Amino acid sequence: MADNSIKIFTGNSHPELAKLVANRIGIDLAKAVVMKYSNQETSVTIGESVRDEDVFIIQSGCGEINDNLMELLIMINACKTASARRITAVIPCFPYARQDKKDKSRAPITAKLTANMLTVAGANHVITMDLHASQIQGFFNVPVDNLYCEPSMIKYISTQIPNWKNALIVSPDAGGAKRATSIADRLNLDFALIHKERKRANEVSRMVLVGDVRGKIAILVDDMADTCGTLGLAAKTLVENGAEKVYAIVAHGILSGKAIKVINESVIEKLVVTNTIPHEDKMAICPKLDVIDISPTLAEAIRRTHNGESVSYLFSHVPE
Amino acid sequence: MRGIVLFGGSSHQALTQRICDRLSCEPGKSFLAKFSNNETRVELYESVREQDVYIVQSGCGHVNDNFMELLIMIQACKTASAKKVTAVIPLFPYSRQPDAPFGKGAPLTRAPPMTVPSTPKTIPSTPKGSHPTTPRAGDFGTAGGATRLAEEMNGLELMGQEIFRLSSAMTGPTGSFYDNPSTSGGYRQWVARSGTLVAELLTCSGADHIITLDLHDPQYQGFFDCTVDNLSAFPIMIKYIQQHIYDYKDIVLVSPDAGGAKRATSIAEKLHMDFALIHKERRRPDKPQKHDLMLVGDVRGRRVVIIDDIVDTGTTIIKAAKLLHENGAKEIYCICTHGIFSGDALDRIEKSYLDKVIVSDSVPQEEHTKLCSKIATFPVAPLFSEAIRRIHNGESVSMLFDPSHELF
Repeated sequence: MADNSIKIFTGNSHPELAKLVANRIGIDLAKAVVMKYSNQETSVTIGESVRDEDVFIIQSGCGEINDNLMELLIMINACKTASARRITAVIPCFPYARQDKKDKSRAPITAKLTANMLTVAGANHVITMDLHASQIQGFFNVPVDNLYCEPSMIKYISTQIPNWKNALIVSPDAGGAKRATSIADRLNLDFALIHKERKRANEVSRMVLVGDVRGKIAILVDDMADTCGTLGLAAKTLVENGAEKVYAIVAHGILSGKAIKVINESVIEKLVVTNTIPHEDKMAICPKLDVIDISPTLAEAIRRTHNGESVSYLFSHVPE
Repeated sequence: MRGIVLFGGSSHQALTQRICDRLSCEPGKSFLAKFSNNETRVELYESVREQDVYIVQSGCGHVNDNFMELLIMIQACKTASAKKVTAVIPLFPYSRQPDAPFGKGAPLTRAPPMTVPSTPKTIPSTPKGSHPTTPRAGDFGTAGGATRLAEEMNGLELMGQEIFRLSSAMTGPTGSFYDNPSTSGGYRQWVARSGTLVAELLTCSGADHIITLDLHDPQYQGFFDCTVDNLSAFPIMIKYIQQHIYDYKDIVLVSPDAGGAKRATSIAEKLHMDFALIHKERRRPDKPQKHDLMLVGDVRGRRVVIIDDIVDTGTTIIKAAKLLHENGAKEIYCICTHGIFSGDALDRIEKSYLDKVIVSDSVPQEEHTKLCSKIATFPVAPLFSEAIRRIHNGESVSMLFDPSHELF
């Protein structure tokens, strides 16, 4: 048992999630004011003492990403100079996670830069959810807990999708095959794969289906849905190959640009995302959108980290 | 110039072009944009292997976006095997840091007890600001409480920074800690000072050298582990005064606050001009928010030039101009290094007693000169290009601090 207390701070990226997490743990959010000066610089004021406390700062990489990232760094630094015992950055959707390799000349590895910045600002621990590539954990010198939405997704499939025993799990690209097969194994379902050829960033051209979907319900599983070009084309390919219905379950629903339009016009029955990214405004204009709440997982992780208990339980179970 | 590649960030492309013109080279080809989810996108189209890279980016406009762009560009060049990466930052972001809110200068004697809770009063110069980004406060206080916080911080000297006033339409749970700060428990607010963090972030992204202009706080150089060249705009300002203001020896140089006195006196000595100072005096120890401006020196019937390093909301210089006008000044000019002009500064300057405000183009000024007729600019591209040339060739930069050195 730790002898100090948990303090949860949040920036402006996703205060609703932070409130849910705090309620789940049974404490109030710690008081802080995070806003902008008139010249657009970020201003952070911590309203409680954090001396020798276990500080958790919840900030997701969504919306105005650079602003939110600067807010997070400044809050971490403020708590460090205010003598917090340990500072954990809880980042449900890790920013710049897709820029993690030098795939052409002079490309920056921004994920490494972000990891360096978090460490330099003073974070001692990082908790994140469904990293785009789990090797990003190696960019850090501090401990990283990469939690998974998989148990929550499995619970959703087995409770909310009618006739799910007649479904099969489809991965919309080759990179996500491992993720999809692990869900398929847990649910004892079949598996299929769609191989795509990509010409330019955020633009997909040809899709090839590997596997048999005739007469079945197809459940597309992916980690991110940004412009939804991939998902729209994949759903079309599946229906052309005989699938009855197509669902899509995605961990991080960024849904930028024309994504909502693409989803509304596609053959996808329902798009299910988690609340790592706020969605209230999108729910209003997209009737096919459904949200899984992952705040219990985050709250449990925070509680166990604070008490020094094992977090492995969360890799295969959803806290009730 | 051999062995040099110069990239410009998106904050001030015009300045980059002007610097490159002076150096007779072309700006490095790059593509700077944002992905659809607002992440910054940087692509460099020139080889930087074993080259000296200079990246010009000013901390103006959307500060966080421009800062991230700079960090990502530095990182991209470093991973592409650049020999040395120098960040040229005319206006350095986050260089002004708020003081700890424990009241400097006020005596630590017992203040008379507040029997009547003071109601929030309005402060005269309020930057309303019509920003597209509305204040999204992550706080949980009442509207009145948040206003009170803003006022407390306004009253305490924040080195010219003004808190963005939270809209009164904001509601929240009642009973926040803001309501009675004097009677609640001992803890006050802890205001984050981002200066060290920004220095560490620049170093961790890979910058080997920083060139900047008139840092607000000269001690800020010590926050860095790498070399910092803090150039001075004073020689250019002195030359401007000599060339554009007639009978300049007749002018009085005024510093708008006590902190800038040293800056103003050093120029006044070089030009053999008279000097005056404006002092903020706190009237009563129990009401530290109430300030009185006092002029130290004589300006009756004289033309004055106010000297400052940054003009942001314009409050300081507008109040100073009002005071100088009341004390009989004939014409009032203002010369500053960095003209940010955020919020409704330009409107208020148009209506104020200032005759002309002269700033450098460290921050892009095309829009500002269109909106306000009182703004004039002096270029800093010659200064930066000369500094880059000398640093690249390993020559001394001391000449640039001498006003008699011909830059133009």
